[in-house]
Amino acid sequence: MPSLADKYELLGCIQCGRCTAGCPVSLRTYLNVRKVVYDGLIGPAPKGAHERPEAWSCTTCATCTERCPKGVKPMELLIGLRGSSIERGKVSPTIRDALESTFKHGNPWGRGREKRTEWADELDVPVAGDGDAVPLLWYVGCTPAYDPRCQDVARALVRLYEAAGVGYSTLGAAESCCGNEVKRMGEEGLFELLVEGNREAFASHSIDAVVTSSPHCMNTLLNEYGGVADEVVHYSQYLAGLLDEGKLAFKGSVERKVTYHDPCFLGKHNAIFDEPRSVIERISGVEFEDLDRSRERALCCEGGGGRMWVEAEDERGERLADTRVKDAVELGADTLVTACPFCLLTLEDAVKTSGCEGKIEILDLAELAAMAL
Amino acid sequence: MNIVVCVKQVPDTAEADVRIASDGSGIEMEGLPLQINESDNYALEEALLIKEDRDGEVTVITLGPDSSEEVLRMCMAKGATEAVRLADPAFDGGDAWATANALAKAIGGMEYDLVLTGCMASDDGMTQVGVTLAEMLGVPHATYVTEMEIGDGAVTVGRELEGGLLEKLEIKLPAVVTIQTGINEPRYASIMGIAKAAKRDIDTKAASDLGLDTAEAGKAGSKTTLLGLDYPPAGEGAEILDGTPAEASTKLADVLKEKGFA
Repeated sequence: MPSLADKYELLGCIQCGRCTAGCPVSLRTYLNVRKVVYDGLIGPAPKGAHERPEAWSCTTCATCTERCPKGVKPMELLIGLRGSSIERGKVSPTIRDALESTFKHGNPWGRGREKRTEWADELDVPVAGDGDAVPLLWYVGCTPAYDPRCQDVARALVRLYEAAGVGYSTLGAAESCCGNEVKRMGEEGLFELLVEGNREAFASHSIDAVVTSSPHCMNTLLNEYGGVADEVVHYSQYLAGLLDEGKLAFKGSVERKVTYHDPCFLGKHNAIFDEPRSVIERISGVEFEDLDRSRERALCCEGGGGRMWVEAEDERGERLADTRVKDAVELGADTLVTACPFCLLTLEDAVKTSGCEGKIEILDLAELAAMAL
Repeated sequence: MNIVVCVKQVPDTAEADVRIASDGSGIEMEGLPLQINESDNYALEEALLIKEDRDGEVTVITLGPDSSEEVLRMCMAKGATEAVRLADPAFDGGDAWATANALAKAIGGMEYDLVLTGCMASDDGMTQVGVTLAEMLGVPHATYVTEMEIGDGAVTVGRELEGGLLEKLEIKLPAVVTIQTGINEPRYASIMGIAKAAKRDIDTKAASDLGLDTAEAGKAGSKTTLLGLDYPPAGEGAEILDGTPAEASTKLADVLKEKGFA
């Protein structure tokens, strides 16, 4: 067995601590990324996340890896520790259930495969037939397909596609989890299985371009699938493109004071900062102002990296989503817009837990855009 | 300490709209994912915890079709040391008696201190295999066990009774114990672990290997015959609250208030 230092190339670490200083969850948990790297180098090296439960506090936002001046990838080490626990079967029941559900049903939410398209029952959403060529695939994703709140986002996207008159198709109930979160929970074997299945499904439809509802799906399909289509984009990029080309136009006006929360997997991971803002700014009536911690410096909502299925065990402070909502209220915004199903859910919960009910509304970018049609 | 765990592969119907098959022999299985019977999963975990505590072998055994080997591999990925599948067309269509009979023949030839199995199969809900197996093996048994502690030549168990009562018993080993869900927290079997287990041998036994006459196996060896399946008749008084989740939950809150529950 290679040592953690060899496996994750930790020897470059100079213990400068930029990883820990930038880590958003270090504000509220006892995760100290520098210390985990130190223990990986000097020992005693942990056998897995079951020996370092704070490794489950990581949201895989990538700030540590982005900021490291020596090219060390502390996030990969934390995911690796989770993987060692997975191999030993030592994970929390909520993580176990999410993984088993993904294996059985193709989604982490414990819902049946045949119910994947129920959100679209009243709508006319095209589903690709066996072997049909699909120039443009909309990869709906598990959370927009199953979560009642996020289904509204999927429905808003349908209205936007219809308004723009674009031809697209979905995989319907044949769509399976992309595995972005599965990989970050450390279940590499299940991730590979999902990649194999999805690649086969995509190949059978000769897909040119993929649009995803979630930045998480976009991230893995684009960066970790080894080229499933010529183009994989998040819907915010796609909508910005449609607006640029004049295929989509906002005829309505939305009188709101809006700010925007950058999803980590759109922003920090894939440097997509401008497109969502350009969609917002084109809506007449909207007064837009950025939060102080925005773009590369955006605060994470704590919904990524499998954290939708596990609460940080060692919390010592306010949830970051609570902080985020309070920041937006302080800015004077009446609407906090995001472009990710996990951010939408964590922020909306935070409106209630931070006592900001009635002060601010959380909307997905697709919902705001659909209001302006 | 050597433990045998009897497991069954069942369809996962938690999320499914269950339909009776056109020939009335069972339910339509198409599209239903297969998995280990829930309480068997807890029985396996209990066996693995005992093994980690005091060494020994954990043998998993199933009677089922080829697909049931997936369940055995998952059990091996979690830590079971041996796996046995009773596989023979002669076993088809057997009831709880015929299943217990085949298991008893196989387990009777093994060295074991304890046999664990789930208290109930989630597909037919018979609850008969564990107790019938104990009678056939001629060993004591306890059912619906939610607490268990291995002692010297005996096991102390807590049985779940009606009204939240817990019956404590000490039973001599070897014994058969049927496990209720919730006794522990089953571990996760990684896909990599299952793939590694795929390379390990499963000991396959036909009726003749067990010295079982085909007349004693499967449908021919059964004491019960399934006459048919029916959907439960629609009752009265149920109300489905429609609308969006927010609307439905508001209506539900109103109903609970009106009825004096909140």
